[in-house]
Formats: sequence, structure tokens, C-alpha cells
Amino acid sequence: MSALAVNRGLTALLLALLMVAPWLLAWMESEFWLTVLTEILIWGLFAASANLLFGQVGLLSFGQALYFGFGMYGVAIGIDRFGLGLWPAMGLGVAAAIVMAACAGVVAVRLTWHYFAIITVVFSLIFYFLALRLKPITGGDDGLSFAAPAIMDLGGLRLSLTDDATQYWFVLLIVALAFAVQARLRSSALGRAFAAVREGERKAALLGIDVLRVRWIAFVIAGGLAGLAGALFALYGRYASATHMYYTVSGEAVVWTVLGGAGTLLGPPIGAALLILVREELSGIWEHYPLIVGALTIAVVVFAPKGIAGGWNALLARVTGR
Amino acid sequence: MSAVLELDGVSRVFGGLRAVDGVTLTVGSGITALIGPNGAGKTTLFNLMSGLLPVSAGRIRFRGQDITGLSAHRRARLGMARTLQIKQVFAGLTVLDNAWIAARQRHRPLDPFRRASRDRVTRAAAEEALDAMGLLPLAAREAGSLAYGDVALLEIAMALATRPALLLLDEPVCGMSPAETERTVARIRAVSATTDVLIVEHDMDVVFGLADRVIVLAEGRVLADGPPAAIARNPQVREAYLGEEDAA
Repeated sequence: MSALAVNRGLTALLLALLMVAPWLLAWMESEFWLTVLTEILIWGLFAASANLLFGQVGLLSFGQALYFGFGMYGVAIGIDRFGLGLWPAMGLGVAAAIVMAACAGVVAVRLTWHYFAIITVVFSLIFYFLALRLKPITGGDDGLSFAAPAIMDLGGLRLSLTDDATQYWFVLLIVALAFAVQARLRSSALGRAFAAVREGERKAALLGIDVLRVRWIAFVIAGGLAGLAGALFALYGRYASATHMYYTVSGEAVVWTVLGGAGTLLGPPIGAALLILVREELSGIWEHYPLIVGALTIAVVVFAPKGIAGGWNALLARVTGR
Repeated sequence: MSAVLELDGVSRVFGGLRAVDGVTLTVGSGITALIGPNGAGKTTLFNLMSGLLPVSAGRIRFRGQDITGLSAHRRARLGMARTLQIKQVFAGLTVLDNAWIAARQRHRPLDPFRRASRDRVTRAAAEEALDAMGLLPLAAREAGSLAYGDVALLEIAMALATRPALLLLDEPVCGMSPAETERTVARIRAVSATTDVLIVEHDMDVVFGLADRVIVLAEGRVLADGPPAAIARNPQVREAYLGEEDAA
């Protein structure tokens, strides 16, 4: 059996587990974990945003929280200020994140490595402080809370996020679709152009690849993914806050990506899942639990530099001889 | 002989150093070699031709079009391909994917929808380029695991996969064993039947065995330009460049 077939089988198994999770957790009388799982899916999507830039194009961003925040505020402002329904508000959040990424990307993609990382932090900080100051729009320190509209309301059929299981299915469906789109993107000509730019931008340019354009496209798509995650998170918490635009939130996505395996499709959400589970299990027992997160991350970087998924792929390649 | 590439008074200045100084030359059909002692400005001139560096002065025309202000990727799309002195391939990708990426640049290179594996036309073009360099049996290998000589050949295959009108080869046999050199020279000669080649090379056996015409660069200027036999007899060239070899 090839490594590809094994990984496809595992992905199908993971998806199947996620699909039976509501019943499984209800049977185990652990419904609380369904909301944790919902949160993991959202943060996994956010990690995918950092991974698209770092793992696929080679740009280390510490500013993805900016687009996450635009997604959050788009939804919150859309619902609270404009009275939009759930889907138009989500569209507003994602569109706001994409437009912001398209504008910031024009400047950011001209830089690489630490210069790129710094400019992404700078953008993030500017809008973080703006969000705090523009209280009439963003709610300032208090943020914006809102009541989530129904997902669907057709006569007698009303689906609402107030039901944890419905909320889980809603998030799972959107996150699964986002990952399916990413999988297609990775296997396309654009995905290969991303890889070429990551592997050697000078070489890529000499072959005819417009490096700046490719980076900009990746930046905008990553902004859209972060915006989508932010929109989902706003709906999940019925709240938008500038706190989630701070650059340390972006840093978490980078840690999840590195831990899970930069450049792999499912590594970043695996990294997010692992560290969120560590947080959920240990934060109530030991207040210094981030030390364990740090130790885990260092151990992975030292012993499996390609992260959990990368290490798994290497092991699989050795076992299957490919 | 029609010129595929024309340089008119091209200069490049780095601070107080004039690395390339008013170079005027044309590159026509067949294999043209660009030689000169270390520091003569050969690689800088290649960088100016391929767009990796902007010129400080002068104009560059490629197939009759002024490309002086064009970026490297736009020159590549016009049909100018180039390999690097320090060999560079996409090490984390397979040999076939390396050539595939190169071959795809002429047709919807950033298509986000269609699966790359279903693009049989590009795959065929990539395989053809790999075959021309004898690398088809290694197509499934990761490029980073190749021997040095094969990396150099893969770089040429990638350049060929773009279907260039002009191939700029920067020291293609540098660091190769005699057997690898012989193999590479034969393949470059075969390529030159359909593609014009400009080659920078320090190995004089390779230069005089391959080139139809030799341009000698010294201190950023063109010192001599002519058939290999005339260049070999040129006393200025012998003093400025070949003399170094005799001394060695």
C-alpha cells in the first residue's frame, strides 16, 4: 500500500470520527467536549491560514490575527449594526478580511523573512489599536456582542447555533469545505507555483513565475481563510473583540503549524487540536501549563523538525519504501 | 546571421565598481561562448541579460523587442531561459514536478482549479525535456536526492521545458567529473540544434569544443569577438585570459 493511500485512509477515518463525534460524546456523556471540538475546528482553520503562507509559500506571518479580527468584526457589525442575516454577515466578514489582505499584501509580499514577519506584525498592531480606539464601531475594550441569527429558517425548520450539535455540524461543514478547497489548490498549477516560490524564488522567476503575484495570491487566500475562521469564531462566541487581533494570537497559529507540520494539509489543525487539548486538560490543574506547550513545541522542533504530520509522512515513506 | 539578443552600451555599476562597462554585442544562432578571467563581469552580464539585475545604462533587445526594463519572469516568458552558476532546483519536489512547473509557465501557470496531474500536455513537455537530458528514469526521485551532475542536468532540463528561444548556461559543467562533463557537452550540442545557446564556461576544452563563436570579456568590456580559432590566436586574449591558463 502506498503512503498516499494510507494517508487518504486516515483522512477518511478522521472525517468519519468527526461525523460521529456528536453521538459518541453524547453516549459518553461528555457534551462539553463537543464545544471544544468546535473550537478546535475553527482554530485549525486559522492555523491553515498561517500554514498556507509559511508551509506552502515560505512566508512567516505573525499577522494573520488581523484578518481573523476582520472576519470577526465583519460578522458582528453586520449582525449588530446592519441587521444582516447569518450568511450575509459571514460574507461581509470574509470579504472584509480578503479586501484587507489584498491591500496589506501589496506592500507585505515585497518583503521576505524577518522583514515580512515584522511588517505583518506592524499591520496587525495598527488595526488592533484602531479597533480599541474606534469604540462606536468596534465596541472598544468591551468588544461587540450579538445574538446569532438562525442558520436556516424555513417554515417549521429552524436551525440555530444555540444548539451545540447544530453549531458543531455548521462549523464542521464549512471547515471541511475549506480544507477540500485547500486540497484542490495544493494539487493545482497554482499550488505548484506556491511550492516553486517556497523552494527558490530566484529560480522560479527565471522559469517565468511572477513571484510577487504568486505571493500576493497566497496572501489574499490566507487572509480569506483567517477571515472565515474569524467569522466562525464570532458566531461561536456571539462576540467580536480586538483581543483576537493581537499578534500573539497569530503567534499561536504559527506554533500550531510548526508543531503539526508546516506545509502539510492536516498538520496545522492537528497541532491546534493537540495544544488546545493540553490547555483544556491542564489549565485547571496547573497555571503554568504554557510551559508544557513550550516544551512540547521545542521537543517537536528538535526531534521532528517537519512536525507531527511531517514526521509521520517521513516514517510512512520509510515503511512503504516511497 | 539574425541576432536573437542584442546589447547596446550596457553597463552596471556597483558603488565605485564598474562591473560591466558599455558592452555592445549580439548573440545569434548556434552556440556562443562568453569567456573571461575571474571578475571579468560574465555572471553580472548574465544577470543583466536575464533580468536578475537592472542595467545602470544601455539597452537590451530580445528577438527585436526592447526588454531593458522587463523583470526576469517576463523575459523568461518571452523565451529566454537561464541556469545558475550555483545550481538550483526545487529540492523538495520530484524531478518530474521540477520540469512540470517549468513547462507550465507558458499556459495558465496559476490555474487554481484543474488538478496538475491531469494536465497531460504539460507532463509530456516536461518528460520530453527530462528525456533530452537523460533524466527520465529519475523522474519520480526527489530533486534534492540527486547527484551533483544530475542536478546540473535537471537545471538545463527545466530551462528547456520552458521552450526557450535562447538558453543562457552559466558554467554548466562546473564541478562535474570528466565523464559527466562529456555527457553534458553532448547533450548541450544536441540542444543547440533547435535552441540558440549562450554559455559562460571556464573549461576551455568545453568552450573550444562546443562554441561556434567566442566573446571574450575582460574588466567588464568586450576584448574580442570571433570564431574559436581566431580567439585562440588573438594575442590580447592570450595575455588577458588564456595566458593565465598557460601560467597555471
